[in-house]
Amino acid sequence: MEQGHGVPGRVHGISALTAGAYVSVSKISKVFATRQGAVEALAEVSFGVGEGEFVAILGPSGCGKSTLLMMCGGLETATSGRIAIAGTEVSGPRDSIGIMFQDPTLLPWMTVLDNVLFPIRILRRPLRDHLDRARELLDIAGLGGFELSKPHQLSGGMRQRVAICRALVYDPAILLMDEPFSALDALTRDEMNVALLDIWERNRKTALFVTHSIREAVLLADRVIVMSRRPGTIIEDLRVPFVRPRDFSLGGTPEINGICEHLRSLIGRTQRAPGVST
Amino acid sequence: MRRIVLPLALFAAVLAAWQYGSAWAHISPKLLAPPSDVLRVIGETLPLLLQHAVPTAIALVASFVLASLLGFVLGTALAASRRLRRAIYPHIVLFQLTPKIAVAPLFIIWLGVGAASTLALAVFLSFFPVLIATASGLTGTDAASLRLCRALTATRWQTFRYVRLPYALPHIFDGLKIAATISLTGLIVGEFVAAQAGLGYVVLFASSIGETGLLLAAVAFLCLIGLVLYGLVAGAERIVMRSFGGSSSTGDHAG
Amino acid sequence: MTVAPAPAGRWDEPILAVVLPLASAAVFLFLWQAVVTLAGLPEAILPPPLAVLGQFFASLPELLRQARVTVLDSVVAFAIATAVGVALASCFTFSGTLRDAVYPNLVLLQLIPKIALAPLFVVWLGVGAPSRVIFAVFISFFPIVLSTATGLAATDAYALKLCRALGASPWQIFIRVRVPFALSHFFTGLKIATTLVFIGIVVGEFISSNAGLGHYILLAGAGGATSRIFVGLIALSLSGLAFYGAVVAAERLVQRWWWE
Repeated sequence: MEQGHGVPGRVHGISALTAGAYVSVSKISKVFATRQGAVEALAEVSFGVGEGEFVAILGPSGCGKSTLLMMCGGLETATSGRIAIAGTEVSGPRDSIGIMFQDPTLLPWMTVLDNVLFPIRILRRPLRDHLDRARELLDIAGLGGFELSKPHQLSGGMRQRVAICRALVYDPAILLMDEPFSALDALTRDEMNVALLDIWERNRKTALFVTHSIREAVLLADRVIVMSRRPGTIIEDLRVPFVRPRDFSLGGTPEINGICEHLRSLIGRTQRAPGVST
Repeated sequence: MRRIVLPLALFAAVLAAWQYGSAWAHISPKLLAPPSDVLRVIGETLPLLLQHAVPTAIALVASFVLASLLGFVLGTALAASRRLRRAIYPHIVLFQLTPKIAVAPLFIIWLGVGAASTLALAVFLSFFPVLIATASGLTGTDAASLRLCRALTATRWQTFRYVRLPYALPHIFDGLKIAATISLTGLIVGEFVAAQAGLGYVVLFASSIGETGLLLAAVAFLCLIGLVLYGLVAGAERIVMRSFGGSSSTGDHAG
Repeated sequence: MTVAPAPAGRWDEPILAVVLPLASAAVFLFLWQAVVTLAGLPEAILPPPLAVLGQFFASLPELLRQARVTVLDSVVAFAIATAVGVALASCFTFSGTLRDAVYPNLVLLQLIPKIALAPLFVVWLGVGAPSRVIFAVFISFFPIVLSTATGLAATDAYALKLCRALGASPWQIFIRVRVPFALSHFFTGLKIATTLVFIGIVVGEFISSNAGLGHYILLAGAGGATSRIFVGLIALSLSGLAFYGAVVAAERLVQRWWWE
């Protein structure tokens, strides 16, 4: 692996990190059986995430990053390997994990507030206790006056914000996000990045954020994990040096450009040479 | 504008041809009673018509309600078990392609001539659309919503109650509307084959004595009954679909 | 690197798809027999499955005779309904006025329980095949018109623009563009119509006939010969399914030929 210009703090010693990490992913492999034969989506992926860390998982399409996230959330099983969160192995979905997808999947007949409170209903916790928190989250997300609106009255970006609030309302220990802003137009996406930074500042959770946007990854995360093309492995685990709270003006600085360039070259290489993992 | 005027004009033209054409073409008014005759007959035999309309109307409502409940319950059962679905659904599909109406004589053997067998026939015919609509509506929920439920550790019941059922309601109502129409058809055929009362019986009786005026009067009442039921179902659909979204948390909590 | 085993049940999916329905049919027959035996039901109420089977083969010649009447009437009615339906729907595409005037009235007619008019046709056309056939046409041509009209109107707007730009005549556009696009809608209407045609013919036979499977079943009912009812129902169902199958096969053929 080469040293890029101005790329401080590459994370070494992956195995040292997984042991005792808040989220530990150990030698995860995933093989899908398809009609054309076995497809290896992930090959021995290992990394650790500390408590309260915001980690972005970056990689080209088809590299298995979404599958990896699903496994962390208990929605998919690994072929081999082990994922543990707070010491307990992940064997299925749990109520301490919050998850967001590309599609906000709001329930169209419920109001915004009801949608946000939906997990509370499912988890059979007292609605009354969480009403204030729901309203507060909506406020922070910039949806203050929209509690009684229906999803069809909101724009795509607004709906995703409701989804963020919904993912946070039951105070999960860890937040998983699978390309939540990929379906939005560029301007809205920038807005959402700002919104997420803001919300996350006030609700610091361990977070795993899958994206294929280099700039988004670097802007939002404490660490960026770069994955190779299928079969997915980790080719770089990079600490982002910027202090928090961050703001969007960071976007134009030479430091961030340097990091983005480095990441871009890494991904470019993995896309040209098939199956290269270093 | 023309979308309204043209069909109305055609309708009026046909009506006029019907009214005056029979006299002009020397067709016996018994063979095709003009509208004025039909209205006259309705006026003259109103008590009789109502007397027969009541059992038919009651039977219609009863058969529709029974068929809907049966279809909904069985449809839910099918939706719950993939194995059951695969075992039974192919038979249902095949069944739908046969003229089920021919079982009318069988019901007569089992339940005798009269209201019971007519009702049974109507229920038998009309529960299928509800069954199919319920099963397909409940199993057709989009994958993203189901994944959300899984991620939140929702139980099967919770997924059904909060996601599958609401999404399935439009389908189910479509099935109910079809069932309302088929119920009436089943009742009419049942009354043709084995009844001594009801509007279907009146239609058959009228045809046997060649009184098309009475026949069409009875058909008019049948139309009315059918439309009322269909309208009630459509109205219920409106209410359910609207008030469904209307349930907000501010209704559950003080402020 | 380990290769995961195939997801459970993958290999036996196609087998189960056949076995499960057959198994449920077997269970049904078993329960049928059990009910008859345990409840001691007389044959006049519910004949056991084997008795029905025996009756079927015993009455086969008779059934075939009656089936021929019913199926022939149905085919004729279906052919007329298709011709009328397609002709009318085609007229709609050439004349917007006709379409605007007639289409809403057709939709309105769908609100009437048309089956109640079966005796009217008997008054007009007497007891016999014509009244049944015309009644069946009356019931079944609606879905054909409505589906075909929708199909012909649903042609891709861009395809139409292209044709006009190339100077194609209305007839050419009709044949080369509208018809292929309309085929799937058309066949949907046909499939609905097959069931309706049979219903129309059977109801016609119920109220006025001396031949056909509907009449056979009715007569069996009047005479308390329950196994004959079952047998007639089986024959009728098979006829209905065969008819539907023929339409499906025709659809496949036409699709393949036209899209070549």
